[in-house]
Amino acid sequence: MAVSRRSPRSRYVVAVLVLAAVTLVTIDARASGTGVTSDLRSKVHDVFSPLQRATHAALQPIGNFLTGALDYGSLRHENQVLRSELVQLQTQSITSAAERAAAEQVLAEEHLSFVGGIHSVAGEVIDNGFSNFENSLTLDKGTSSGVAVGQPVVASGGLVGTVRSVSATTATVMLLTDPTFAVGVTLPGGNVGTARGSGRGQPMRVTVVSTNRAAPAVAAGQPLVTSGLRLESFPPNIPVGRVQQATRAPGSAEPDITVTPLVDLNNLTYVRVLLWSAQ
Amino acid sequence: MTPHLIPRLRIALVLCAGILVQSALGADLRVAQVAPDLMVLLAICAGLFGGTEAGAWVGFWSGLLADLFLTATPLGLSALTYCLVGAAVGALRTNLVAESRLLTPLAALIGTAAAVVLFVGLGDVLGQSQLAASGRTWLVKVAVLEACWSAVLSLPVAWLYRRAARGSAGAERVGSSPASSALQGMALR
Repeated sequence: MAVSRRSPRSRYVVAVLVLAAVTLVTIDARASGTGVTSDLRSKVHDVFSPLQRATHAALQPIGNFLTGALDYGSLRHENQVLRSELVQLQTQSITSAAERAAAEQVLAEEHLSFVGGIHSVAGEVIDNGFSNFENSLTLDKGTSSGVAVGQPVVASGGLVGTVRSVSATTATVMLLTDPTFAVGVTLPGGNVGTARGSGRGQPMRVTVVSTNRAAPAVAAGQPLVTSGLRLESFPPNIPVGRVQQATRAPGSAEPDITVTPLVDLNNLTYVRVLLWSAQ
Repeated sequence: MTPHLIPRLRIALVLCAGILVQSALGADLRVAQVAPDLMVLLAICAGLFGGTEAGAWVGFWSGLLADLFLTATPLGLSALTYCLVGAAVGALRTNLVAESRLLTPLAALIGTAAAVVLFVGLGDVLGQSQLAASGRTWLVKVAVLEACWSAVLSLPVAWLYRRAARGSAGAERVGSSPASSALQGMALR
């Protein structure tokens, strides 16, 4: 049963709103991340960030409960895996401590500036990203803490992403799974490649950058780190991910490499923004 | 002060609360990496219970709020999508769709799936090719799972929206017919 007929006024309202939205899209697209729309976003982030922080703190227990309920099966499995890994790690800890000391000496000799040399700011994640088409998270630190667009973001484990936009009190981080994200990585045999995001929950894909060297022999499980070449957006030797698969198509000179990020991007609470910029 | 100002303020408050809850809990509710979208659900509820005009208005503002929290897509893309979806749901509701107990979850299911496809389609037309970069499988997965989430959340969100919109122009228009009284009763249950 019909309730009422659509009036000409409704059509007029819809047309005006559609035009307004299209105008906004056009203005924002032409400004390409700067100008009045960017300022508006920045201001709204500043106004909402205390509310976001409060809501995040208040709803976090509910969120944790829901995450646990939705992932119960995988959490149980993960718990079992972690228990067995813990036993292995306990036996390895003595030898790894000695190896770490040796590695630190080597790094010091090589003058690798990123080891403790880069200033960083710790930030709490106040929004883990609610869009299904945007791989990002929001931190509670902004320009007032020295954060700027383009700075690398890391967590225990390795690279998380890069700062995409920033307001006075918040920063939005583009995760390394975002399809527009790219980072240079070092491959075996002195080769370098570019790892690109392929979307949430999907492995990154590595394109081997042509060199005069032999094609890289990459094996599954191999860790990859940032190359840190000149004008790269990231300092060298930040762990990016572990090779999931490396296959060579018939007739192809370079292997198809997929990489799983080392950091669990779904469960980030604190991250560090490296106050570093490409020279 | 106009008589419809208070309901409008209540709806604005619900939209602000919606975006805060979405940003705080959205990521925790991910199933197979797909999160629900409360803002599109609010637009659909506005169309269902307020008609075409309310659907368009609420869709526009809920989308604009969502846009302000996104950085990879241009401001106005979600506003355009949700406005069209809210208006379409309102138009279908007032002209074609008969009363049913399953109307709210069904409208949420179909409306959300349409919104996901429309968002990516419009984005692609407007040069946002990264939206489709994850592939067709991801798009279908998002459309299906987000639609299921919307169907699940539709009754509480519809109840909340109806309470906020009591006394608004759209609610009075849609609520004026005997047929919609049944709908109101269903949503309040």
